[in-house]
Amino acid sequence: MFARRFLISFPIFATMFVVQESIITQFKIFGGGFSLFLVFALLWAALSSPELGALTGFGAGLMMDLSPTISSPMGLWTLIMILAGFSISYLGYGDDNFRGNPISLVIIVALAVPITRLVYLIISLMLGGELGSALQVLISLLSSALWTVAIVPLLMPIVTRVHGVLFEEASRG
Amino acid sequence: MRNGGDNRGRLLLISLIVTSLFLITLDLRGVSVISGLRNGSQSALSPFQSAAATVFRPVGNFFTDLTRLGRTRGEIERLKAANEKLRNSLINRKNADAELDQLKSVLDLAGTAKYKVVNAKVISLGSASSFTQTISIDAGTKLGVRQNMTVLSGLGLVGVVKMSYPNHSLVQLTTDPAFRVGARVAGSQQIGILSGQGTNKAVLQLLDNQTTLKVGDVILARGSQNNRPFVPGVPIGEVTSVDNAAGSVTQTADVKLYANFSALSVVAVVVGAPETDPRDALVPRAPAPTPVPTVTIYATPSESPTP
Repeated sequence: MFARRFLISFPIFATMFVVQESIITQFKIFGGGFSLFLVFALLWAALSSPELGALTGFGAGLMMDLSPTISSPMGLWTLIMILAGFSISYLGYGDDNFRGNPISLVIIVALAVPITRLVYLIISLMLGGELGSALQVLISLLSSALWTVAIVPLLMPIVTRVHGVLFEEASRG
Repeated sequence: MRNGGDNRGRLLLISLIVTSLFLITLDLRGVSVISGLRNGSQSALSPFQSAAATVFRPVGNFFTDLTRLGRTRGEIERLKAANEKLRNSLINRKNADAELDQLKSVLDLAGTAKYKVVNAKVISLGSASSFTQTISIDAGTKLGVRQNMTVLSGLGLVGVVKMSYPNHSLVQLTTDPAFRVGARVAGSQQIGILSGQGTNKAVLQLLDNQTTLKVGDVILARGSQNNRPFVPGVPIGEVTSVDNAAGSVTQTADVKLYANFSALSVVAVVVGAPETDPRDALVPRAPAPTPVPTVTIYATPSESPTP
């Protein structure tokens, strides 16, 4: 039942991935812009149990690795997103006050996005990647956090509703 | 029961992490299935990207302009009056004309150096989640575009083809932090290595510590063996500041890149290099000073002065 529900969420993630890769990448936005898909995946994981968070991270990371614009080794985003998805879901697991509070969700996702990207950068460097201008990286990380603060309140009602329909109501039944 | 659930969760987490590490290992060992997956995803996404580029690129340009308003307000004010007249006549054909201009200038540049080029439209910008700076273009292996080919705009070097697919290619931009190109200074022929910095400025490091650079020096691509990844003579940028720190082993300089990376819409991939090195033929010409007209007025007094 759990696996079936998880698979049902695949088309939603696939749609978000296509939107990210084909539409969001058309805009050149201040600070390097934002990854709608990353924000969506982390928000989805934040509403899930740790097991589901890790699975969500796995699926989302795999899609991010398949992005043709990414040059890092295949599996790197998968690894990072598993850890990010598990961590973000573990933080609020069992605490309904935390999950029911939109401000906590905005803050945690806004922190998770730059931290996830920072971990990606560090592991990329360990695998022989290049850092470039440190100032540019800092601006990119800060602006991704700010963009996330702006986007999460817009995404949250939809994500909460869809996630609830797929998982919470199923578990009640 | 809870303990059993915890164990199951741990097992799942470990299995997923091991799977991802397995994928990384396979990719780093160059297993072709992995690159095949990316090829497949590119092929699946390219129709969406082409459609989105057609629909959203004018809006994307609008956002680009909007985010630059604060920084260029002064300049905008000065140019506003002059642009107003032009804008009215161009408004309907702005996008097409911009692409045509870019195409014309890139063909001029390629024609001067006798490069054989394939023109391409930019269909998407790079990923916002990673720190690499790339673009996707709508020309691929079917048009002769291969990995490690030089990519130009009308103003100069844009980057190098990193991956090529049947109908599309991924281009690593000159601004990418991992980008390196052998460069030489036009005129003096000093050589060095130019590195991307993530911004529209790059850093040039000279190889010889006996030579000197000066602000305004034009930097060109030195060219690679068999002309790949870089053909010789492509303009890259202009020196804006020179680091003359005492004790430094080699001289370094900041180079402002010629290409306008925020407004790339048409580029050209060099698929055939010239037989002879164009040397400094592609150095942009300095603007000619505008002559100031001198007006001479001859006044002839009338014979009968008015009362």
